[in-house]
Amino acid sequence: MPSSGPSFFQLVCSVLAAFFGVQSEHNRQRDFSRGSAWPYLVMGLLASGVFVIFVILLVRWALSLAGA
Amino acid sequence: MRVAAQFLLLALASGASPAYADWQLNMPRGVTEISHAVFDLHMIIFWICVAIAVVVFGVMFWSIFHHRKSRGARAENFHENTLVEVIWTLVPFVILIGMAVPATATLVKMYDNSDAEVDIQVTGYQWKWRYQYLGEDIDFFSSLTTPREQINNEAPKDENYLLEVDNPMVIPAGKKVRFLVTAADVIHSWWVPAFAVKKDAIPGFINEAWTNVPEPGIYRGQCAELCGKDHGFMPIVVEVKSQAEYDQWLVDTRAAQAATAAAASQVLSMDELMAKGEQVYNTACAACHQVNGQGLGSVFPALKGSKIALGDIDAHIDIVVNGKAGTAMQAFKDQLSAVDLAAVITWERNAWGNNVGDKVDPATIQKLKEGAE
Repeated sequence: MPSSGPSFFQLVCSVLAAFFGVQSEHNRQRDFSRGSAWPYLVMGLLASGVFVIFVILLVRWALSLAGA
Repeated sequence: MRVAAQFLLLALASGASPAYADWQLNMPRGVTEISHAVFDLHMIIFWICVAIAVVVFGVMFWSIFHHRKSRGARAENFHENTLVEVIWTLVPFVILIGMAVPATATLVKMYDNSDAEVDIQVTGYQWKWRYQYLGEDIDFFSSLTTPREQINNEAPKDENYLLEVDNPMVIPAGKKVRFLVTAADVIHSWWVPAFAVKKDAIPGFINEAWTNVPEPGIYRGQCAELCGKDHGFMPIVVEVKSQAEYDQWLVDTRAAQAATAAAASQVLSMDELMAKGEQVYNTACAACHQVNGQGLGSVFPALKGSKIALGDIDAHIDIVVNGKAGTAMQAFKDQLSAVDLAAVITWERNAWGNNVGDKVDPATIQKLKEGAE
């Protein structure tokens, strides 16, 4: 684990926690004390894109179930 | 105390009166597959809400009672608990998904307008509905028939008070019927609770809805979007008939419409025109200009003694046939037949002491209507 910035797994976990709306105080302290905000911003935008694609696929799937 | 006694008396009286015998708090179950699905959805979500309320208020009241001061309870002093926060975020999430699955299934069915066997264009007007059967050459207006005396509390009210019309929509039972809903002036909403159909009627837009009513019967609804003075006076009546009766109705209605058009060439006596005119006036004009012809305030002018009703007959015909832009006065050329228009203009020129003495021939109006088309 590089000491300068968060690991990829940490980054994903923190962004998912932000999407979910709950983050532990311990992780929050860790995220705010290391590295810059850029990796979080980029991962956040990526995750937003994935979420939008997920919703589109979900709607397509629901409509295909209905035979539309 | 006296107020309370009066209230109790009122409550008892209304409870005993047959008019309120079948009152209910819950939404009606309706008569179609879709309306049953909507009702079931409503009940599922209602019981979910009840369960949530029982759990939330149960825990809340138990906590308040159990941790009361007299038992020496002390407040905990912690800042956060990630596990509890995750749980109270996940639980509503799961509940909402649980509601969304059946709701989506029902909505998808409701929006499936394909493969309809009958198409009816529904147009909202201030304050009546127009039904055009696409491809069937049938086109008519549906107006309230409840007499003004009942509305003004001068006569006892009928069972179907404010829910009765002159020409109900007629549809066949067991067939998918599609409604193309729009409006001519302001936003209305076509609502028949028994079908679980409520569709906004918006000028310049066409919204689609459909129904498939298994059993013949008469179903009633109302405009559900505040649309002006007589919003509460433009009910909807749908008569569901068996296929054979529906086919017969199509033939009869087409014949009646042809007869109405043919009647434009007949010459009516003054008495005939006046009798017909009063009837038409009370259905089509009295909502604004009032039964006594005295209008309402500055918005709806009086016809009694008015410059138009006493003046040039062509100007009078023009304003009734074509309406007046920028005012509530609508064009009646599509709404009324040539005979009805001739009769009502004759009535307006000779009622309430407006004794001009002239009469309008249906043929004159017919010529105008044809010129306009």
